Amino acid sequence: MSNTTFTLTASAFKMFVRNKQSLFFALFMPLMIMVIFGFIGFDKMSATKLGIVSPEPTPATQTFIDQFKNAPNISLSFGTEQEMRDALLRNDLAAVFVIPDNLIPTPSPSSAMPETQTVTVLENVGQLQQAKIAETIMSQILDKTTIAMVQAPQFFELKTEEVSVRSTKYIDFLIPGILGLSLMQMAVFGVAFVFADYKEKGILKRLLATPMKPFQFVSSQVITRLVIALAQSAILIAVAILLLHTHVYGSWFLIGLIAILGSVMFLGLGFAISGVANNVDSVPAIANVIVFPMMFLGGTFFPTDGMPNWLQSVVHYLPLQFLTHSLREVMANGASFVAVRYDLVWMGVWAVVLVGLAMFTFRFEEKKI
Amino acid sequence: MDTIIKVEGLVKKYGDFTAVDGISFEVRQGETFGILGPNGAGKTTTLEMIEGLKSISGGAITLDGHDVHKETRLVKSLIGVQLQASSFFDGLNLKELLDTFASLYGRKVDALKLLKDVELEDKWKSMVKELSGGQKQRLSIAVALVNDPKVLFLDEPTTGLDPQARRHLWDLINGIKRTGKTVVLTTHYMEEAEVLCDRIAIMDHAKVIALDTPLGLLKHGDIGSTIEFHVDRKCPLEHYEKLPSVMKASDEDHVVRLLSSDPEKTLPALFGHEAVCDVKIFNLQLRQATLEDVFLKLTGRSLRE
Repeated sequence: MSNTTFTLTASAFKMFVRNKQSLFFALFMPLMIMVIFGFIGFDKMSATKLGIVSPEPTPATQTFIDQFKNAPNISLSFGTEQEMRDALLRNDLAAVFVIPDNLIPTPSPSSAMPETQTVTVLENVGQLQQAKIAETIMSQILDKTTIAMVQAPQFFELKTEEVSVRSTKYIDFLIPGILGLSLMQMAVFGVAFVFADYKEKGILKRLLATPMKPFQFVSSQVITRLVIALAQSAILIAVAILLLHTHVYGSWFLIGLIAILGSVMFLGLGFAISGVANNVDSVPAIANVIVFPMMFLGGTFFPTDGMPNWLQSVVHYLPLQFLTHSLREVMANGASFVAVRYDLVWMGVWAVVLVGLAMFTFRFEEKKI
Repeated sequence: MDTIIKVEGLVKKYGDFTAVDGISFEVRQGETFGILGPNGAGKTTTLEMIEGLKSISGGAITLDGHDVHKETRLVKSLIGVQLQASSFFDGLNLKELLDTFASLYGRKVDALKLLKDVELEDKWKSMVKELSGGQKQRLSIAVALVNDPKVLFLDEPTTGLDPQARRHLWDLINGIKRTGKTVVLTTHYMEEAEVLCDRIAIMDHAKVIALDTPLGLLKHGDIGSTIEFHVDRKCPLEHYEKLPSVMKASDEDHVVRLLSSDPEKTLPALFGHEAVCDVKIFNLQLRQATLEDVFLKLTGRSLRE
């Protein structure tokens, strides 16, 4: 690196760090989102809420109901049928079980077969999925109880073995998403604003009055942004580990490589935007048209699996999608270079397209007429 | 004196519009050369073509023997440029800014010394946005001097400054002149051109319409100076009109105005006339013609229109 490029890079670094706006986009905003979303605890919110109607259960029935309390990710509330129906209508509950008080008869010496008892399930159509899960659990417990009562031998046993030793909590999904988002914000806004400003204020023209090569100036700015992208990734991941107890299973080197590739892609977009923008004021308008939808469709805050198929097939090719997906695979699942090669290749393609677009739209020198 | 800049038949076209229409002039080593003209005359375009910032549609420019069009980067390393309303990076203090610009020339500079030269040494820790208009202009001159240039270009250096800041900048530019640097500046203030420039090219409508020293422009402009005085008693106007070099005479009560093409000849004769006509002259004032008058005469318009 020549002395000129070195000095320019050092200056660009100082300018970036002193620019409160770019620091906000690069660090404080993602940290804020991360902490807020991290502490809300979406995992707990997704517990299935069930209502139980059984005013005066017999001791055996009570024991039966208690089994539900041990089921994971289920919260129970009790009340009269009317109360529970109201709660269901308010969408506070996923399902209500109306359990007869003497569902399980007290064991008696008479070996007469007890009557068939009915458990009524009131399902909330709005939370059908959770309701069905609850229903399944209920019928399983009922079956087991039946077998126990008739003292029949058990022929089958379901043995569960946990294969994934990694907990995949929401926070582990979220952190790579936020990281990808902040890399995009930093690269796009950190370049688009700055260069549109340089262009508008005539600073680029003043630089051209020196014997400097435009390439030297642009590369000093790019080098600065890439160093900052790495620092930014390290800080965000460190905060996520220390504060939100997320886990990083993959290679740090690979995470760095993905961060660099993603940044190059979005730096290209940033330069292209500053090339198209006539002045600084039009930068946020142009940038947000592109960046804002991508923020939500790029797999940042929630998975895109739930989207309609046609939308999925579009968002699947968004540059941010490849960045967040590969970061998530490496960070949360410890994926290898080979495992994320598909994302890396696509990011490479996007980098070529966006940098090419930047070279086409961004003019350092006077347009030749 | 050697010629340092040679401009021959220079043309700049933007589509059908001709911004600079075949102008030629030479700038001599060590002189301060001014391009005076109203807004839109083509001054800045001319300057930016010489600086290698704008492409040339026709003609040729050589600077210190180098073709500006062919050896643009070399020429840029020899010159220092202050652009019109120039602005610099936010987020760097003045010292860092000068060091950064010096690195663009592959040089190291004593930034504090440069800042001292433009009287900004105690501001070295400040950011550009904290400077006043005059201080910004002084900074941009310091930045233009980082490479110890052979020629310093100043594009409307005092436009938008208050009179005090303007005079301050004039002192500074005169100081740079004394170090032997060639200075080329554009301005639409004729007073500025008179104070600073050794020679002036007057530009209007993309052409150079006159080129001379300020004195030469005034003399050959054939405009004349106004001699105004009070008299204690009336004396026939024909007497005044017969005085040497007087082009026109008029009186009003006891105030007489003479328009003279050469006051140095008119004045001694006027004082001699006191005895002839037994008249006493007092409150005499001489108003010299200005470049404003020259411009008015050359173009029929005022500079500020």
